[in-house]
Amino acid sequence: MIHAFLPFFRWADHTAVAVWIRDSTWIFALLEVFHLFGLTLLLGTLVVVNLRLFGWGLAGHRLSAVASDALPFTIWGMIATIGSGALLFVSEAMKCYGSAPFFVKMGLLALALLFTFTFHRYLTKKDAPPSAITKFAACLCLTLWFGVGLAGRAIAFF
Amino acid sequence: MTLYQICQALQDSDFGTSIRESIWTFPAIETVHVLGLAVSVGILVMLDLRLVGAGFRQVPAADIMHKLKRWYLSGFIAMFLSGALLFWSEAEKCYRSPTFRIKLIFLALAGLNALFFEIKYVPTMRTWDTNGITPTGAKLVGWASLICWLGVIGFGRWTAYGMK
Repeated sequence: MIHAFLPFFRWADHTAVAVWIRDSTWIFALLEVFHLFGLTLLLGTLVVVNLRLFGWGLAGHRLSAVASDALPFTIWGMIATIGSGALLFVSEAMKCYGSAPFFVKMGLLALALLFTFTFHRYLTKKDAPPSAITKFAACLCLTLWFGVGLAGRAIAFF
Repeated sequence: MTLYQICQALQDSDFGTSIRESIWTFPAIETVHVLGLAVSVGILVMLDLRLVGAGFRQVPAADIMHKLKRWYLSGFIAMFLSGALLFWSEAEKCYRSPTFRIKLIFLALAGLNALFFEIKYVPTMRTWDTNGITPTGAKLVGWASLICWLGVIGFGRWTAYGMK
């Protein structure tokens, strides 16, 4: 099934942007730095919202208030990580094609985004009191996002 | 013994070498370092954003600071311990790395900045923060903290990139 995507990876690897990043000594490093800035914002804000879903951390505040305060920064974090990540990807698309952790990461990322903006968002919006469901949702959300981070680190090492 | 010789001895020690040459340990420690960073600095950044007036308007700064303390402190401990192990395994390389020195300067500044905030603004925080008037000095602390941590992360990442 992955073979079907090969032309896309080849195309990405040959784009002008990819060549430009590969030819530069510092753009790749700079993109990695932005990737990390975004990740900090993204995971930090998600941890706080999910702790609240668990009934921990900012427990004295309404869930919907904590979530709506955090959301813009979670989204900024996503924009920074996904934007820089897309550029990092094209610069080594063929390396990613051969990397199992890369495909695991993309799968987890799709699930994480889907879950965060559907059921997870629904729970925070309606101020769901801590229950088995909100705790499970919090665990799942953090597992998915930290899974994205772990698989991402693994791309560089394996 | 000069600082350079100490760094060299650390890097050449059995323990340092075993981390550096491991297949799993080094990546595992680096992962803890990055994820610990996301939790600790990620939460701290929320406090800074509130101080500078960029967001988190519904949650008082004192609550971010106190109610989340055990979480960001755990993150900091994880980050410092893993960072110490990473340094141990590549101490001599770190010594020679200009970006690592810049990172340490930003880290020291971030610490001094936090200490200044703790002494000068935290005791009266409940009053000014609930009134919604952040003193200019506290705002500047927020900006300084954001800049310092961006510096630590940026030059930290660059250190790893430069040493490969």
